[in-house]
Amino acid sequence: MNDLATLADLLAMPAVQRAALGLLAGAVGLPLVGVIIVGLDIMPVRFAMMHVALLGIAVGLLTGADPTLCALVACAAAGAAVSPLADRPGGLSGGMGLLMSLAMAAALLLIAVSGVNAASAFALLWGSILSVRTTDLAILGALAVIVPALFLVFHRRLALLLHDRELALVSGVPVRLFTLVLLVLVAVSVAGAIRLTGALLVDALTLLPALAARRVGTSLTSISLWAVAFGLLGTAAGFALALLSDLPPGPVLVLTAGLIAVAVHLIPERKRPWQHTAPRSGSSH
Amino acid sequence: MPMATSGAAVRIEALTCDHGPVRAVHGVDLDIGPGARVALTGTNGSGKSTLLRAVIGLHRPSGGTVAVDGHVARTGRDLNRRRRTCAWIPQRQAAGAFPLLVRELLDTGGDPAAARTAAADLGIGDLLSRPVSTLSGGQLQRAHLARVIGRVAAGAALVLADEPTAALDFGARREAAARLLGLGATVLVVTHDPELAAACDRRLEMAAGHLREVV
Repeated sequence: MNDLATLADLLAMPAVQRAALGLLAGAVGLPLVGVIIVGLDIMPVRFAMMHVALLGIAVGLLTGADPTLCALVACAAAGAAVSPLADRPGGLSGGMGLLMSLAMAAALLLIAVSGVNAASAFALLWGSILSVRTTDLAILGALAVIVPALFLVFHRRLALLLHDRELALVSGVPVRLFTLVLLVLVAVSVAGAIRLTGALLVDALTLLPALAARRVGTSLTSISLWAVAFGLLGTAAGFALALLSDLPPGPVLVLTAGLIAVAVHLIPERKRPWQHTAPRSGSSH
Repeated sequence: MPMATSGAAVRIEALTCDHGPVRAVHGVDLDIGPGARVALTGTNGSGKSTLLRAVIGLHRPSGGTVAVDGHVARTGRDLNRRRRTCAWIPQRQAAGAFPLLVRELLDTGGDPAAARTAAADLGIGDLLSRPVSTLSGGQLQRAHLARVIGRVAAGAALVLADEPTAALDFGARREAAARLLGLGATVLVVTHDPELAAACDRRLEMAAGHLREVV
């Protein structure tokens, strides 16, 4: 009872309300971005974007522009730039290693040469949830609307692309355009979640709910719905726990989302009707 | 949706395809008239699938040209236009890593109603809600055949099929072959199935990347 009262008191504070609103918006759009990451099998892209985000932040601190917006623009540009690599098998993985190293080196060089406060740049990598601003809310809100809308409108083509890139290509799906848009969305999401969990812990809101959903869903639709449900659950539980325990929200959110993902994977898989009769095999039956 | 009645004409000239340092297709010339059903046979690794993939634009040739209904695809847009006139049955039977339901596979073919009807005719009408990764190889081939029937109903005039009956039992092979060759489209089919090859209008054989007509 005391905990609930404490939580209510904390939620009455404007900074906490903004953080909660940001997390709510993030929990709708970002797990769907995680579904894209899992579907396209582009997990290294996140790491690269985290480094590119640092470069963007460094540029922002150097020029006096908004660091979050600079990170967002840098990530979006990097996402668009690497999308042609997706045409080659394994092309994104190699390219990401290069991008990651170059972005980090450029960021460190910028920070060193310009004499900006390196701690400010790195602080954003760890997140600062109670300093969520209107710009951050706008980015997260836009993602919460745009990503589900894309899933709804392009459901069939997206499902085919995530299932099999070649089949999508020969079926007339504009694969390159879709890949470009999806990679930009992934990149923008990493940048948009910087203040919530920090760029380094953005997996709490993107990948972990999607990995849990992948375990229980059997189609793009069901996986997407489960991902949002796990995202909302993990975010609400993690944020409440962090507030009540007076712990840093970023790591608590990641741990909560991680525990949910592990718990879902520990639950024995439910037998589907076809599993009683039809084992996967290479021959007909 | 227009129904394909005559199929597309295919002209391949001096086509060469490489896999890195290995030449898979050596200067192949081939003319296929509208509506012709052509079997492409040969041993594993002889270049059959590469030739088929070059026609649909999944493999970039090192030399030569492929023209479908007189159009050579020189840009990505041209290739997309060509792909809209093609229907494809892939050889790779392993389903993609991300789940896709059978009904979603059928619905992305162009004419969902025709594809679903064909699926029912082919005996997989009760599998629509299943992920394709749970299908057997034969069921998946039937699903792809039903999808191709939907694509032809939506206007595709060239069917490119890579071992479409390999995982089917004998009875199902005959039925699938009859459906495939009765589509009213031009068909180029890679196959090791002697019955399917014999039912085609022409039989070609590839050996070490070279093509010859089997009389």
